Amino acid sequence: MNRVVNVARMQLINKWTFLGIPAIIMVSAFLITLAIWAMIPASGETFYSGASQAVMWYFMALGIQSLTLTFPFSQAMSVSRRTFYIGTVGLFATVALVISVLYYLLGLVEVATNGWGFNGQLYALDWIANEHAVVQILFYFIAMVALFMIGFWFATIYKRWQATGMLLTWIAIAVVLIGLLGLTSWQGWWPLVGQWFVAQTPLSVSAWAALFCAVLAGGSYLTLRRATP
Amino acid sequence: MIDDSRPIFLQIAELIENDIVDGALAEESQVPSTNEFAAFYRINPATAAKGVNRLVDDGILYKKRGIGMFVAAGARSRLLAQRRDDFFREYVQPMTREARKLGISTAQLTEMLHRTESTSDMTEGSVSR
Amino acid sequence: MNNPTTPAAIELRQVTKTYRDAKALDEVSLRLEGNRIYGLLGRNGAGKTTLMSVLTGQGFQTSGEALVFGQRPYENDGVLSRICFIRESQKYPDDFNARQAFKSASLFFKQWDQAFADQLVEEFQLPLNRRIKKLSRGQLSAVGVIIGLASRAEITFFDEPYLGLDAVARQIFYDRLVEDFAAHPRTIILSSHLIDEVANLLEHVVLIDRGRIIMDDDAEAIRGTAVTVAGNASAVQSFAAGREVLHRESLGSLASWTVEGRMTNAERAEAAELGLELAPVSLQQLVVRKTMAATDAVVDTDSELEVLK
Repeated sequence: MNRVVNVARMQLINKWTFLGIPAIIMVSAFLITLAIWAMIPASGETFYSGASQAVMWYFMALGIQSLTLTFPFSQAMSVSRRTFYIGTVGLFATVALVISVLYYLLGLVEVATNGWGFNGQLYALDWIANEHAVVQILFYFIAMVALFMIGFWFATIYKRWQATGMLLTWIAIAVVLIGLLGLTSWQGWWPLVGQWFVAQTPLSVSAWAALFCAVLAGGSYLTLRRATP
Repeated sequence: MIDDSRPIFLQIAELIENDIVDGALAEESQVPSTNEFAAFYRINPATAAKGVNRLVDDGILYKKRGIGMFVAAGARSRLLAQRRDDFFREYVQPMTREARKLGISTAQLTEMLHRTESTSDMTEGSVSR
Repeated sequence: MNNPTTPAAIELRQVTKTYRDAKALDEVSLRLEGNRIYGLLGRNGAGKTTLMSVLTGQGFQTSGEALVFGQRPYENDGVLSRICFIRESQKYPDDFNARQAFKSASLFFKQWDQAFADQLVEEFQLPLNRRIKKLSRGQLSAVGVIIGLASRAEITFFDEPYLGLDAVARQIFYDRLVEDFAAHPRTIILSSHLIDEVANLLEHVVLIDRGRIIMDDDAEAIRGTAVTVAGNASAVQSFAAGREVLHRESLGSLASWTVEGRMTNAERAEAAELGLELAPVSLQQLVVRKTMAATDAVVDTDSELEVLK
């Protein structure tokens, strides 16, 4: 257990990676968005911005780096793969949870200030802003974890099977997707699919994403167990 | 200093013996620790210890618990006696054997030895090899 | 430490590691007791790094069993926390500087000695605040050497630790290794092909060639087990009769053969009578000769097989 905590502490030795850079991305995305809104003449319509996603994409890159560089280093620190995995994912989940709560609180501020005075929507997106607080936080949280896991898992694949493995994985994913699309068209399922998508709520999306994360987490752990530095 | 011809522990033991014979290490004086020998000659500490322990077994050095290693009383004279024996075996015997081959009599040999003594410009190096 | 109930620090039982087309380790069995300095010698690609990877749970054997302190090291934090293995091509997080790498090491190695690490940093003149990926090859090696020494792990592996280090830095490494080992005995496995430089530091030598152990002996037992005999070719030949000849060289009527065996005084005298010169063979020369002899043997069997086909 102690070593798991130490893995998290090791990841935090360089404060910038897990804390500084995400903070900068979040603050600058916010300020740039406000600047853009300030420059566009108000038309009475609501401004939308996807800038709050920016930090999530950074987490995907972080997932990749955790594996390609921090994992080999953790091996030199005589840390087992399991300990490294739990410590790293645990730290990331904690950071993601904090940011999710922060997003929820910023959403409250956004609504209270009439969209930062510009009638803008940056955090309290229409689609989820009316949901229960827990659902909102859960939604952000799962989205971030999913991106981190994607980065982490792809990096594990790359680590073990190099470029060939990457290529085969992408081909496999493409084949499965095309197959599903073909099957849907062939069976005339599109209306059903449309209905299904419309029926989704933030909670159900979170649930699906959580399932996806669990699969990725399991997959990346099993791949990591056989990875060599 | 240390060469590849023989085990290092033997060479270490000899180096210490030399210091005792030529008086650099006086009887009852403390000798450096095995770790100091190891660091000085850049050798494995276990090897240095083996060399030192050989001298302890031979009674040339003795251990004072918790303090260190000391040269035993009488060590120098014992080493000298041992070396004289070695000298006889390794130098004198082969020399007399060779002398006999060449038809040099004992008297002639003695005369030769007197002659070298009087020239006495021989360096230590040329004696040993 | 060495009583029969304590398991060996390291034990390999018929460990084989196969890469796609080659055997990196070929049924290696080895037992190493604790608290000694071992030399793991062999040519590049002989299997040294693979052996150390398997022993630290970083790599996987294809078959056989590797035990450290009597347990399997793979995913075993209890065992791993007592080992330190910095690779020759060790990777560090992109944004780390040396100071941060040492801070990490202090988290994971219980015996970490920061004062010792600081002293080594000064002696190696290592810039602490420069990013590791911007360090020179020698400075990068110094980072690994410092972690390995200051970790004081019960088993420390040094994998060709001197790449890019100049002669002065290498000497600092050897000196500190001997001193610190004397003060804090532990198991050191030093993989190297600069054999002459490390020969006197080793208590035990393991020579590996093409994934096979071809020598596993105390350094002191090896020292002086071979001599080079030089002189008139026919005299050399008669002197070498009945001995294992590791190497033959000749120039006209002169020959220089490396033969196995410790010379007695009588044999020395015999050589002198024949007008032959005897020269000691260094550990490095012995390793080269042994390896080449092993290679010849392999080539011979190969060509015999060819003939049989």
